[in-house]
Order: sequence, then structure tokens, then C-alpha cells
Amino acid sequence: MSRAREVLVLVLLAMLVFSSVALAQEPTGFPRDQTLIVNMLTGRVGTPSNFNEWVGWRWRDRGMQNLANEPLWSVDFATGQIINGLASGDPVYNEDFTKLTIPLREGVAWSDGVPFTADDVVFTVETILAEPGLASHSAFSAKISKVYKTNDYEVVIELKEPDSRFHTHFLDRWGCTWIMPKHIFENVDDVVSFEFDPFVGTGPYKLHSYDPAGYWTAWEKREDWDKSPTGILFGEPAPKYVLFRTFSDSSAKIIAQLTHQLDVADHDAEGFAAAMAQGGTIRAYQPSYPWVVNNDPCITGITFNTAVAPFDNKEVRWALILAIDIVEYMAQAVDGQATLSPIHIPYLGAYPEYYHEPMQEWLKSFALDLGDGELFYPYDPDAGLRIAEYARQRGHEVSSDPEEIKKTFGIGWFKYAPDVAEKLLLKNGFKKDANGRWLLPDGTPWKITVTDINDTGHHQFKNGNAAVQQWKKFGIDAEYVASDAYTTLQQMGDFQVGAAWPALEPWGAGVDLYRSLDIFFSEYIAPLGEANHGHSSRWSSPEMDDVIKRMRATDPTDIEATVAVCTEALKILIEEMPSVPTYGYSGFLTWDEYYWTNWPGAENPYMGPYGHWGTLKYMLPFLQPTGNK
Amino acid sequence: MFWRDYLIPRLLQYFLVIFLGITIVFFIPRLAPTNPVERTIAEVRSRGQYLDPAHIKDMVDALTEMYGLSGSWWEQYKDFWVRLSRGDFGVSFFQFPTPVIELIKRALPWTVGLLFTTTVLSWLFGNIVGGMAGYAHSRGWSKLLDFLAMFVRPIPYYVVALGLLILFGYVYRLFPIGGGATIGVRPSWTLAYIKDVLRHAFLPALSMVLLGGASWFQTSKLIVQNVKAEDFVQYAQLGGIRESRIMFRYIIRNAMLPQVTNLALSLGQILSGALITEIVFSYPGLGHLLYSAITTGDYNLIMGIISLSIVAITTLVLIVDLLYPLFDPRIRYK
Repeated sequence: MSRAREVLVLVLLAMLVFSSVALAQEPTGFPRDQTLIVNMLTGRVGTPSNFNEWVGWRWRDRGMQNLANEPLWSVDFATGQIINGLASGDPVYNEDFTKLTIPLREGVAWSDGVPFTADDVVFTVETILAEPGLASHSAFSAKISKVYKTNDYEVVIELKEPDSRFHTHFLDRWGCTWIMPKHIFENVDDVVSFEFDPFVGTGPYKLHSYDPAGYWTAWEKREDWDKSPTGILFGEPAPKYVLFRTFSDSSAKIIAQLTHQLDVADHDAEGFAAAMAQGGTIRAYQPSYPWVVNNDPCITGITFNTAVAPFDNKEVRWALILAIDIVEYMAQAVDGQATLSPIHIPYLGAYPEYYHEPMQEWLKSFALDLGDGELFYPYDPDAGLRIAEYARQRGHEVSSDPEEIKKTFGIGWFKYAPDVAEKLLLKNGFKKDANGRWLLPDGTPWKITVTDINDTGHHQFKNGNAAVQQWKKFGIDAEYVASDAYTTLQQMGDFQVGAAWPALEPWGAGVDLYRSLDIFFSEYIAPLGEANHGHSSRWSSPEMDDVIKRMRATDPTDIEATVAVCTEALKILIEEMPSVPTYGYSGFLTWDEYYWTNWPGAENPYMGPYGHWGTLKYMLPFLQPTGNK
Repeated sequence: MFWRDYLIPRLLQYFLVIFLGITIVFFIPRLAPTNPVERTIAEVRSRGQYLDPAHIKDMVDALTEMYGLSGSWWEQYKDFWVRLSRGDFGVSFFQFPTPVIELIKRALPWTVGLLFTTTVLSWLFGNIVGGMAGYAHSRGWSKLLDFLAMFVRPIPYYVVALGLLILFGYVYRLFPIGGGATIGVRPSWTLAYIKDVLRHAFLPALSMVLLGGASWFQTSKLIVQNVKAEDFVQYAQLGGIRESRIMFRYIIRNAMLPQVTNLALSLGQILSGALITEIVFSYPGLGHLLYSAITTGDYNLIMGIISLSIVAITTLVLIVDLLYPLFDPRIRYK
């Protein structure tokens, strides 16, 4: 045998030895037909042994927030409802919103068998108040004057000043302040460094094991699952085990799903297309085009740094909006697979009924002053129809029902009017050179840099690049700079245009937009070069401040008053456009139906569809095993 | 005097390089126009955590105190060396309050295990086969290996790694598609666990040995070809010395000198991790830890990993420097 052959044989032998157990079913100790495997959105866990969610960032979608923890209340954006978890009903405020009473659910036990009571809630609040190292300390110590129980299942929190939304600290939208098990934490010397391993929660699952390297965490259904709010409200979760795992590379994630090693996966657009192209048992949220999750309560778009010229001029901002052909923009960004919104909240849940539809007349009558008495009405109520037409031309089957089109592609956006954009720019001293390229008022070439995320699959990347293409077409020298430091650059104001959320994500349930709009309050805005805690556009105005103050004083359960004040704020944002809403976040989610079915798809959206949201635990009682082994 | 003229200058140089290197690593992140506390908060917010903007300022103050960033740079620098003398790099900002040393200790065995093995294997394979191919460069098998190396080496590492993953993880399903060990298997010093770890390391290792080995092969082959053409080799051949003796004692021994230095540098760089390998194969290690530390502005963690890397590289260079006379009698101290 020649030396080359010997080497070859050695390599093959080594592969056989190491691969000899590879064909055995993975993972070990978790019967696949009883195990649900979910992809972790936030990646590899940096602190695998630390489950103390009250300190810093803990990769909470590894099963804490979505499985083993129960909050007082949860948002379910699919139904637009608030789910009572550890609370048995809504918080009850006194007249001036300085005191709230929280009714608690009876019959709940921690995963180690100790009953959950008001003592746990009181202990949690008192511990957070006493320890500056805990994440909610600043907010709680600024607001809470006293906490006490009136009986084992009712807690009262007294506030230092009126706050009609204090309870939202305990409302799980994608995280919140959770309740500590008093019987464990009261015996801890230092709650900040305490790792809380093994984790004890009130959810229907308990910690089974985890990877010391942070790639997976396994949970096992509690024998007393019926003592969790999930079990009490929805029944027994179907999977015996739930395994969260993460893949650093998107190709590995797709391979895992195609080989039935991953049931729930979040992809980027390209990975989603690749997974869907394999067919088989893989399915998306919608059974047909545009397939994606389109009821995610986030709005994407473009953000101008209004502290930097010429983006401090609202007419320039509007000119840049009118230079966008939204059909081309959507085609490039997401191949039309998302829902437009002309206002700073997504078109879903209660928002169309309370905001989008009622604002139609105002949007149609909203005009831009082009000078010399000439007005232009920028709103295009048929933009959604134009996207639908684009999808048809791409060969996709699209409903002709206007209501269906609205739900899928949105209600409208703004006109493509480069001629009007030109008028606005000329009015503000901009010029064009001999080659048709735009010049700034000082005669230098206008170069726009969009600085944002270095992740091609992210909607910020997609929005930023689509905007760049549109502005290039309009004659502006535009470029997209992908940076790993974009959060810092935007925080310090070292950018011109970005693609961060045009307004913070709304709750996704109810009509209150406090979470989206309060961030524009002027006190949060910092000068350039200093860390900004308000919206990254650094825009505010006395008019907006006035509306925000009135919004803060409004009872969010008073729907009429809340909608009225929030609509005022939305109108100001549209007039000023410090940030531009484009489309609602579309989630490239796939499920593998090889082991589990009855997912909450668009045909039956009984619960939020994601694996990383807190509503995963409420989905599990509805899953059905296929019987495949 | 060996001590005065050879050893002591090198030891002084060794400690000076470490001191300057670590000092630079301490100050560079602080020259960045960002506040690590603000950056940590921004990173946490970007991951979906809602922080009430009205209270972020208070949170910044509290975290600045807890992170040990409240004093002047000089005070922080002094504290840093005091802590370092106890082997303490402080706490990670982003993974607060986990000590940096804990995070490094968790990732280090995976990185050293994989990279030390693959670096040594690539080096041995590349040098032995490359040496033989260089000696017999006119033979058919040598030309074939040279062609294969030329073909493999320019392929981007990511493509090779992904190709192996698809081939052996999806098409043939012989190896796991990620992780350091099978899910659910608890770490232990048992044969089954060691075998499981080796199985998970096989594809990452193969990807690195393939490209690394091809690189060493080409370098070694060229050096051996050059040495073979030297006068002293031809003189030995004319003198009737055995071929095997000429090959190992005359040619390979001379050709090894630069390769030994390169090996030391390669081993020193192990502590920087292998980011792409870790990403493609979801493999644990320092590369990912360092990358996330950089992207989240985690000064202490960056300093911890890079300081260890500086110490490793300078130590290996010192060792090679001290051992070099054993390989090359021409520079032996007299």
C-alpha cells in the first residue's frame, strides 16, 4: 500500500470512529416525539449558569420569559388581548393614580412546590427598592413609596406621584419585571451576584439542564403543571421537554430544521426562502404568499438625525420621503412581503380600528406648502393596492378583496412625487449640477450616509438600503454604511440617517401608545456627542411635549381620551417626520410539522406565533404531536 | 556571560513588551468616544429590553459605580494592575456581574483543545509531507499534492467549513451540525464523553487542518526545494552521504528553522480564538467571546482576552528565542 493510500485510509478510519454514534438520535435523553426544539433569537448565552433576570441581560428567550416564568400580565399581539398570569385581573388604580391594587391568582405554586402568594410580590418590590444593582431599581425607587399586602392574594403599591401606567412594569411584552420566589431570595446574601441556578419559576416547565457553553437550555414539564397560570388557563402543555438551542450560522440552522432537529426557527429573508424552497414538512406563518408573520407589533422605517443639517429641516425630510417609490422600495426591501403603515404604529391589532381608519380623512387632507400658495397632498391611500399589483406581476396569487389586501399590504403610504420633492428642495436652496446630481445650498455635492446594522437579514439593513437606492435614483449620492458600532453611533448622534425603529414598538394590545410616543419627550434628548436616551432622531418640540404630558395624565383604560391624545401625537409626527414609518416588522418564521402540528398560523392565530415571546408557554397546550418517532 | 548578555536582556524585553501591550490595551478602549455603561444600556435596549428613558440616567450612575468606572483613568489604571496581580480582570460589563476570568475559563479549554491540536497537526502534516514533496519535487505524487494544495488553499475558509458541514452534516449526516458535545450529555471524564467531544470537534478540526495543512505544506515544500539546491547539500551528495541522512539532517533540519518560529507565533495566536470556525460549527471558544466583547464595548472582557493573548505570544516567542540555539548551532551563545 502506498503512503498516500495509507493516509487516506487513516482519515476514513478516523471519520468512521468519530461518526459511529452520529446516526443515533440527537439530542440524548430527550425523546424527540416528546420534545419541542425552539431556536433562540438572541443567540448563544454568555452566562449559561446565571438565571438571575433581575440583574442585567440574561438571554431571557432561552426559556425564562417564554416558558418557565409567568408575569403578572402578558401581551398577546395575535389576539390583541392582555392575558392575566399571576394576576387574576386588571390592576385597580385609585382616582388620582397614586395607588394601585393588584389581585393575584390563587392556586399557583413555584416549580419547587412552594405556593405563590402576595408575599412574593411584596418581597420582589422591596428587594428591588433596596438594591441599586437590580435593573428596575431606578424606576421603582423613583416611583414607589410603599408596597404591602392586604391578604395573601392582593397587593397594594403606593406611588410617589400619579402614574396611570405603573403596572406596565409587570406587563410582559417582550420581557418585564418578574416576581422573585421569596423563599429562595430571602436566604441570599447578595442578590446581584446570586446566579439563581437552578431556576425556580411559576411557569409550567422547570429547568432540566443546560450547555455550559451556552448553546442550549432544556426544560421539563412540571408534574404539577396545573399549578401554573398556563395550566390553569389553557390546560396541559403537550411537549414533555422543550429545548432551546442556537446556531451561530444561518446555514446550520436551516440544515437543523430540514433534518427535523429544530421545530421553530426565525430566519433572515434569504434563509427563510431557502428553508421554504425545500418544502417537505416546513411551513410558514401564512399558508400562501406573503407567508411571513405580519402581525408583529413593531414598525420599521427610516430615522433622520434631526440635530444634523440638512435633516433638521422638515421640508428636506419630506422631500426625501416623496423621492421614494414605495413599491420599488418594498420590492427591494422585502419583495413586497410586509404591511405598509403611513403612521408610526403598525397596521395590526386594535390600531387600524382606532388609528389608521379614523385618520384616513386627516391624512388625505394633510398638505405640504410648496410655496407661492401651492399645496401638495402627499398621502396615497392606494399604496397597498400598488404593492398587491406588484406581487401579482411577480406571479403570486393575491386576493382581490380590498379588505384582505389592506390586511396583507397595508392601508396606504405616501405618493412617489420626485417633481414635488424637487420643488421642496429648490425652495430650500438646494441645486442640481449639470449631471442632475443634487447639491447642498452651499454648492457642495449632497452625500447622504445611512448608518445602521451590519446584518443583511435585519429590517434595519433592508430599510436603509432600500432608501439609499431610492435616493440614488433621485440624484443624491447616497450610501449605506454597515457598522457593528451602529448603536453607539446613533446613541451619540454620530450619523446622518439610520433605520432604527421610527417609534418605539407599541404594546401590541389595547389602544395606549405611551410606549411608542413618550420617547420623543424633550427631556430625554441629549445634545450631539452625549448619550441620548430619547428617540435616536433627537427630535422633540414644545407641541409634542405638551401632548406627551397630557398623554401621561390620561387614564389608558379610557379609550376615547387615550385615542384622542395619541392621535394628536401621531399627527405631529407625520407633519414633522423626524422618522419615517414604512412597513410593519415581518417575521421570517418557519415551523417543522414533522413532530408537532396545530401551530398558530394565519389561518388560526390563537396565540402569538413566535418561540421567543412570552406567549410560547400559552401556545404549548394547543400543539398536537404527529406521532412520528 | 550567558546570563548577563543573553538571558537577562531577553527577560527584560519580555516583561517590557507585556507591560506596554497590556497598558495599550487598557487605554485604547477608553479613547473611544463611548461610555461603556451607556453602550451596555444601548446594547441591552437593542436586544428588545424596554428601559424607561426617564430613569436611564440614574441607572447609568449606578452601573458606573458597580463597573468600577467612577474614578479617573489613573485610578482605574492603578486598580487594574492591583487586580491583575491577583489574576482578576474585573467583571464583564455586558454579562454583569460574571467575572471576566470565569468567562475566559469557560471558553479557554474549547479553544485550546481545538486550536492547539489543529495547529500542531497542520504543522506536522504540512511540514512532513511538504518536506518529502519538496525533496522529491519532480515525482508525480509530489506534483499531485502540490496541485491539491494550490487548489485548496485559495478557497475561503468559510466556504470549506460550510461545504464540510453540508456534506457531512446534511447530505451524509455522519457528524453533528454544531455544538461542542451532544445536547443532554453532561460533561464528565468518561470515554463516552471524550469520544462525543472528539466527534463534535472533528469537522471544525478537519476544516482547519485542511487549509492550515495546505498552507504549511506549500511553505515547507518551497523551503526544502531551496535548501536542496544549496551547495552544502550537493557537496554532501557528492560525498556519498546516505540520502535519508541528507534529507533529515541536512535539508529538513535547516528548512525547519523558520517553521519553528512560525509555529510558536501560530500557537501564541490561539488565544485570539477562531471566530469563523466557532460561527459555522456553533463551536464554543474565545473567538466568539472576544467578538461579542468588542461589539458590546465590554472593556474588561476585551482586556482580559487580549492580555492573555499578549502573554501567550510573548512567552512563546521567548521560549523559542531561548530554545533556538538547540535547533540552530550557528547562533549558540559562546
